[in-house]
Amino acid sequence: MVNITIDEKQLEVAEGTTVLEAARAAGIEIPTLCDHPHLTPYGGCRLCLVEVEGARTLQPSCTMPASNNMVVHTDTQKTRDARKFILTMIFSERNHFCPYCQVSGGDCELQNAAYHEGMTHWSLQPNWKPYPVDASHPFFIQENNRCILCRRCVRACGELVGNFTLGFEERGANSTLVADLGVPLGESSCIGCGTCVQVCPTGALIDRWSAYQGRETEVDCTETICVGCSIGCGIKVLTRDNRLVRIEGNWDASLNEGVICDIGRFHPLIEDRERVQTPLVRKGGSLKAATWDEALDVITTQFKNQKHNQLAGYVSSRLPVEAINVFTQLFAGLGASAYCLEVDLPAEYSSRLADEIKAPFEAKLSSLQTSDCIFVLGEDLTKDHQVVSFFAKRTIPNGTKLITLDNKDNGFDNFAVISLKPKIGTEIDVLRALVSSLKAGKSTFGDVEKVSGLSIDVIESSLSILREAKKPVIVFGKSDSQFITDDFVKILYDLAKQINASLINVKGGANSLAAAQLGLVKSLNTKDIQTGFIVLGDDKPTQQLIKSLEKIPFLIMQSSYISPLTAAAQVVLPAQNWLEQEGHYLSLEGRVQQAYKSLQAEESVRSNFEILNELASKLGIKVNNTWEEQITKRISPVAIELIAD
Amino acid sequence: MGKPKVASDWLAGCSGCHMSLLDIDERIVDLVKLVDLRATPITDLKHPDESGVDVGILEGGINNSTNEAVAKMMRKRCKILVSLGDCAVFGGVPAMRNFFTLEESLRRAYVETESTDSEGKIPSDPELCKPQRVQAVHEVVPVDIFVPGCPPDADIIYYVLSELAQGRIPDMTKKNLMWN
Repeated sequence: MVNITIDEKQLEVAEGTTVLEAARAAGIEIPTLCDHPHLTPYGGCRLCLVEVEGARTLQPSCTMPASNNMVVHTDTQKTRDARKFILTMIFSERNHFCPYCQVSGGDCELQNAAYHEGMTHWSLQPNWKPYPVDASHPFFIQENNRCILCRRCVRACGELVGNFTLGFEERGANSTLVADLGVPLGESSCIGCGTCVQVCPTGALIDRWSAYQGRETEVDCTETICVGCSIGCGIKVLTRDNRLVRIEGNWDASLNEGVICDIGRFHPLIEDRERVQTPLVRKGGSLKAATWDEALDVITTQFKNQKHNQLAGYVSSRLPVEAINVFTQLFAGLGASAYCLEVDLPAEYSSRLADEIKAPFEAKLSSLQTSDCIFVLGEDLTKDHQVVSFFAKRTIPNGTKLITLDNKDNGFDNFAVISLKPKIGTEIDVLRALVSSLKAGKSTFGDVEKVSGLSIDVIESSLSILREAKKPVIVFGKSDSQFITDDFVKILYDLAKQINASLINVKGGANSLAAAQLGLVKSLNTKDIQTGFIVLGDDKPTQQLIKSLEKIPFLIMQSSYISPLTAAAQVVLPAQNWLEQEGHYLSLEGRVQQAYKSLQAEESVRSNFEILNELASKLGIKVNNTWEEQITKRISPVAIELIAD
Repeated sequence: MGKPKVASDWLAGCSGCHMSLLDIDERIVDLVKLVDLRATPITDLKHPDESGVDVGILEGGINNSTNEAVAKMMRKRCKILVSLGDCAVFGGVPAMRNFFTLEESLRRAYVETESTDSEGKIPSDPELCKPQRVQAVHEVVPVDIFVPGCPPDADIIYYVLSELAQGRIPDMTKKNLMWN
């Protein structure tokens, strides 16, 4: 511990604490621009200059470590003059025009800093040289005229996302933010997660939708979770007048700490599917608007007249567990089969293995942060479960070695030291060879070289990396080539035991673990099914799914959006989307989290839970809402944490 | 001491700041009780008194030789000069043309606009004022009080004028400081 005096306050702080951190902890406000609590201190903007007794010049508090008996003054005429001067220089470096900038009036940290210093005007003129605007990216715009060269975006792209797309070229005032080696953003290696937009203190990086929709003080903010996949990232949904304005990563969410991917941040804003507004019933060949009672009556009659073995229910794992639980009980009550719409079954494989070994065996995502070797199998984390890829990629600069095993191009190949690409169907042989060699303590590859087409050298190097790793993590999930099977997962478990690795299954949709725990994740069966009740919610059906389901003669759709499936249906029930309904989600690492509603649905559109409950009561089937009990009946592959709200 | 004399003028702006001044509504009656409103674009007198005024207010930036002359005259004839609005304080919207050469802006305005026929030419009569690079007022003459805003809020204008009328220098910080 060191003793430091800041503005006459005596403080005791841990060694390594910066003066800025110490001041903030003591409630002393020092203005900053380039500093961000989630990024490495950079010392670029100099706004946080303080007077340190005995020091020759003013010192940047963000990078200055507190030392014993240091005496600091944060608010003197000298610091105030320096800050005003620094802001004057920043304003003159580029072209900042507040009257026609959308972040002006509260959302701009530069303007706020100027107000804080009481700057009524600029004593130096702007640069007047026009800087380029890059609008090549589908999600955001780079306005170099408003850039203050703070490099928050560069640090976020590298440190938080591990993508290292953004950087700077040239020197001094000519410094320019560039993507890759100076290509337009839209053509660069940018993955569109928008973390740079979220950290930008000015309007230099702006998303395409939220401009002039309302300043941060004028919008409503709902802290909830993303249901784009099974990670369950904490997000902030900004709305105004029941309209979605913007989505941001929640810095306070312990899981993702502010980062989210393009699917969480931008995709909801480009949602252009047409809503189902009212219940629809097919009459005389075409779908006609109907009342809720009419539509539900058609369904109950159909259910009652249908043989149970010809009736089946299908539910999306994007729905809250409350709805999935009622759905499960409803179909159990009908004596009909019930499925989750997950076409890939990795979640179920993990649950089955847990049944077998009678204990949770998967690790938490946090194990990625400390790992020195990450072995990714099947799953392309740059497409699905992207935030897991951020966790993995950001460790690479620390020397973490990444190995991939897939038989197709995998977005991780560029980051991996070894990309194993065996012939299709031989992935399991490669894995077996690795495990048997580890068990034997020597290379026992057999004929795997011939079978898989991989060279012995490559397998040998992978083996030695895995063997030497101190904290290896194995990540697997669904795969387009579908080589992840029951057996594959068992061998992976074996591999994890051999090298003492943490095992992470990223599973599928938001509630795929809950669906697996309820026994719904299994191969979709539509054979002989005459009546299919599809609780799609706001999910987007894949072509594969549409093809297999549209053949069902009597199709009932519970859906938020119009799709080829609703067009083929006999009855369509309008359901609320993820922003309109609330409920709980069981994440891939066993966190039970609550999603809150941020938008108010139209009166004719009901929540998935509500619809299923009403249907159950019309059918005289008793359902209860004890989902916590239901999902914990089966041994979970990962310890379930019921997080109290 | 008599009522302080106030004069104002508008330069390269949209006159919105003067409109915002009128937005002080019935409070203008109180204000007139406190000040002697002299030459303004909305009164009959066109030039600030030669004998001088106490407060001069300029809206808009400097974008031609006339603006410059008006600003210099106002500076000479007033004790306290106020820059009113973002154009006067920063250059504002007209200053966007500083990204181009004067030649380019004039060609765009007089020759290339969609409504100009083939006869369109850049006016060059020697009687006309000469356009120049757009500047904030304080780049041309010293300014005492800056009231940014596009336009400044009527409440802020009222505060500034009533403080000046009562012989005080307004405090342009906190809620009175608004650039947008």
